[in-house]
Amino acid sequence: MSADSNSEDLKSGSDEMLKVDNSNLSGWERKESRLKIFHVLFLSAVGAIVAITALTLTALGNPANMGFCVACFLRDIAGAVGLHSAAMVQYVRPEIIGIVLGAFIFAFARKEFKPKGGSAPVTRFVLGLAMMMGALIFLGCPLRMLLRISAGDLNAIVGLFGLVAGIFVATLFLKKGFSLKRNYDQGKLEGSLLPIAALILLGIVLFAPVILLFSIEGPGSMHAPLLIALAAGLAIGALGFASRLCFTGGIRDAILMKKIPPMLWAFVALLVVAFVGNLILGTFNLGFADQPIAHTDGLWNFLGMTLVGFSATLLAGCPFRQLVLAGSGNPDSVMAVAGMIAGAALMHNFNMASSPAGIGENAVYGFIVIAVIVVSIAVCNTFFDRAQL
Amino acid sequence: MGNYIATFYSHFGALSLYKELQAAGVRAEMMSVPRKLSSSCGICVSFDCDDVGAARTFADAGIELEGLYQAHDAGFAVILQN
Repeated sequence: MSADSNSEDLKSGSDEMLKVDNSNLSGWERKESRLKIFHVLFLSAVGAIVAITALTLTALGNPANMGFCVACFLRDIAGAVGLHSAAMVQYVRPEIIGIVLGAFIFAFARKEFKPKGGSAPVTRFVLGLAMMMGALIFLGCPLRMLLRISAGDLNAIVGLFGLVAGIFVATLFLKKGFSLKRNYDQGKLEGSLLPIAALILLGIVLFAPVILLFSIEGPGSMHAPLLIALAAGLAIGALGFASRLCFTGGIRDAILMKKIPPMLWAFVALLVVAFVGNLILGTFNLGFADQPIAHTDGLWNFLGMTLVGFSATLLAGCPFRQLVLAGSGNPDSVMAVAGMIAGAALMHNFNMASSPAGIGENAVYGFIVIAVIVVSIAVCNTFFDRAQL
Repeated sequence: MGNYIATFYSHFGALSLYKELQAAGVRAEMMSVPRKLSSSCGICVSFDCDDVGAARTFADAGIELEGLYQAHDAGFAVILQN
């Protein structure tokens, strides 16, 4: 669209012009200021809702400090469909199906379902895989890390430092020119495939669960009632899309813009509400030892989340954000989610995933290999012309 | 004087334009992309310019530019989209 057509658009009120109620330019700036306050309040409310929902799901049966964990839940689904054979972590988590469908429905209802993709899909698959490897070394995605912190798990504080370190290093590459290059418009069918797959999986759970694998002990056997978990996922998926909630993007933006972005208020609200909730429920337990589904190896708690922060920043979104984007019609994020599922299978099939006893037997080797790969991805997409590689 | 918002496919694009505008003495600010402009996350550059032509000149020189919008009394008007 040319500049010449600009005034016509304004007069005609075409679809490309997005309305806000201002009377002049300086007025727009004043309105923008008020919108920022509203945005902060909205994000704080979203953080609080996520916290309350997570605590509720835990109270109704989900594993401790795991009301929501995108990495753990995708790992459980990978197990349920036979991609790995770790018997204690196999279950089709309805929360994941709900998040995908919630984001899809909300995007569609808001007429924001506009699939775009084609930006380095294989690279995104590998970065998603790396993100899952880091999460399964730490034992949780950034969302679960916050939930663990709110319950007094000090190992997760170590993980938070690692996450920030990973994001910081990745921003150095962003500042030097890192890019996975632009995306392009895709067909609606392309953007609908993951939601369709989620619906099929839900159908199998409801009508043919016998073909799936379900844990009879361990974290996989612990879950909230299906319909409640599904409803929670739907709500959080819709809210995630509406708010653009991302547990690494806020930290990344703070580093890049050198100011506190509104997104950080969602983290604060989540932490405060979950902290108070844990106190009320009697599930707050301050310390390093004896924390639920966590280990005390500080180095690997740090490095695991460093890998998550680094990979997520290169992907422009944490595991939760990737799942929401995938549901809302972003094929590139579908590749990242597929990478996460493959990463979960790799971690358990090759004895690299952590357990409360510590990191997996082969985790060090796996970490070194994937660290070399993701740093190579960062270097190649920063200092070399991608088209020439 | 108008206020313009440039969005990019990469963070580097936003950072580069921001530095360029600062060097040119143009009032500019990096900010999260307004939700009304995009459901995707990321940062954009908000800056002031005398006219659309000057804003386009700055934006066209940007790296991986996604779009340029003018903040107006009736909302954001599309100047260009790549």
